[in-house]
Amino acid sequence: MIKVSNLSVRLGGRQVIHGVSLEAVPGALTAIVGPNGCGKTTTLKAISGELPPEGGSISINGRNLMGLKPWELALKRGVLPQSTVISFPFTVREVVRLGLASGATSDAKANDRIAADALEAVDLGGFAGRFYQELSGGEQQRVQLARVLCQISDPVADGEPRYLLLDEPVSSLDIRHQLTIMQLARRFCERGGGVIAVMHDLNLTAMFADRMIMMKAGKIRASGAPRDVLTDETMEAVFGCRMQVSAMPAAGVPFVLPQTATL
Amino acid sequence: MPRSEALDRGMRLTALAADIRAEWRSGNRARLARVIIALLVVFAAATFVGSIMTGAADASLSNVVRWLLGTNDADQVLTVRDRIIILDIRLPRAVLGMLVGASLAVSGVVMQGLFRNPLADPGLVGVSSGASLGAVLLIVLGSAVFGPLFALFGFYALPVAAFIGGLVTTLLLYRIATRGGQTSVATLLLAGIALGALTGAFTGVLIFMADDKQLRDVTFWGLGSLAGANWTKIAAAAPIILLSLAVTPFLSRGLNAITLGEAAAFHMGIPVQRMKNIAIVSVAAATGASVAVSGGIGFVGIVVPHLLRLVIGPDHRYLLPASALLGGTLLILADMIARTIASPAELPIGIVTAFIGAPFFLWILLRGRTNMGL
Repeated sequence: MIKVSNLSVRLGGRQVIHGVSLEAVPGALTAIVGPNGCGKTTTLKAISGELPPEGGSISINGRNLMGLKPWELALKRGVLPQSTVISFPFTVREVVRLGLASGATSDAKANDRIAADALEAVDLGGFAGRFYQELSGGEQQRVQLARVLCQISDPVADGEPRYLLLDEPVSSLDIRHQLTIMQLARRFCERGGGVIAVMHDLNLTAMFADRMIMMKAGKIRASGAPRDVLTDETMEAVFGCRMQVSAMPAAGVPFVLPQTATL
Repeated sequence: MPRSEALDRGMRLTALAADIRAEWRSGNRARLARVIIALLVVFAAATFVGSIMTGAADASLSNVVRWLLGTNDADQVLTVRDRIIILDIRLPRAVLGMLVGASLAVSGVVMQGLFRNPLADPGLVGVSSGASLGAVLLIVLGSAVFGPLFALFGFYALPVAAFIGGLVTTLLLYRIATRGGQTSVATLLLAGIALGALTGAFTGVLIFMADDKQLRDVTFWGLGSLAGANWTKIAAAAPIILLSLAVTPFLSRGLNAITLGEAAAFHMGIPVQRMKNIAIVSVAAATGASVAVSGGIGFVGIVVPHLLRLVIGPDHRYLLPASALLGGTLLILADMIARTIASPAELPIGIVTAFIGAPFFLWILLRGRTNMGL
């Protein structure tokens, strides 16, 4: 489990996260949503160990983040950043395999299989020989996800769950690949791992997330199952957007249509 | 059967070439890189021997080899002369060329990896100027001011002074160009130009203060040359260069990861700050030692890595050794041109590398406009 207690983070002299507490349990997809600049990405960066917290604590599988070395962290969690620019002519295969170096195994055959599986999983099976720089933004994002999957190939290792931290994993993807990637994240959870994803698309989040955390101005405003979090009241309070939340009759999955909004 | 053996070998080579082509199409350049490195080893060895065999004076290498093996019964006087020309003039020159070329190319690779940009080069961003300032300070102010340094380091004093100059400039540059873990390349290049001008101005003041002999020393040294190569210089520079080269293979995984950004490298388990510190110190040491013994030799650090990236890709596990080999070889070749083109006079090698490197650099700019990351 990833446990964040009373986290506060200061960026450039300004406090941007105020006492955030959350838990991400293995087997569940935890989504963080909220308006631009509410501290979603900063929270994720603190959880990844990239930003030192000013106050509070973060633990991963019961161990304090601050006490873990970079390579120990790399075996427990993989991180997908929003976008990655590379200024050298790497092929897709080479980028994806960069993730193998931090992975658990050094067996060549196993690594070949892990890398090939990862590319298949993000629907880039035939792309190994292409140059990363020549791909579209969405394709690059999927290559990076495959790279992360090479690092964290098994959702559970040595009896411990592992985690994917995804920062807007589907932000530049087409609708089909949005579904592919969200299903991939779900499957990772079903196999015993944990996922924390910063999300923008509320409907996609409602479809796939087990838990939804809604942030505003560096604080958590609501958290729980999507149907409890995504309500007319929170939409107005958090997003400043009066709109009507509906639900699919069968599954009870909530959805919002921008057409219902009054600003 | 020699004929069928040859045929057999030919077929195996064809099969290897086909394999490599197929792997290349699937984005795998590892075996290609290994083959290229093997070819570069052969190329380097051939160039090395070739440079010992050519020069303004006639000298017989086989005479010297026989003398070394203790089987020489040739004319004693000739052997002594050949021995001096080859063992005391050409050999140290080739060794120094190899060392300096390797160190310049590898420093280029490390710096480019660290700054995540193919244009970062110690010569271009002012690190070499900083090292020069350190060296010129020592030449001009000499033992009057730096007596203790001489006492402490002996003939290492010049490389050490250049190393300190290079290190200070690199650290300053890194401080200025990096904010919040992101290095701005525009800032890097501009700050490099400013730092280069500043250190150049200080060097200018020193030259203004210098007497005639010092002036001559500084000027010739600054043009860049392997002409003064001797075993003492090699003894001073080789340990520093070899040590910093020996560190770089341990950086290759970190340099690979850092091409995705410093945050991503940390996510992948790299102790980023420690890796950067080691990389900066080794670049400064290698550049400093090279500048100290051979002056300003430009463009090796940018042309060699770029050329190799086009062929074997940016994977530092292969790029580092390949650059060391090609850098050393090209510098020896440039030195051969420098000493034969105006024979018996000698052109400073810095002029030759600039003539070859600068147009190549322009070609890079024209060709890769879109992916320079500026």
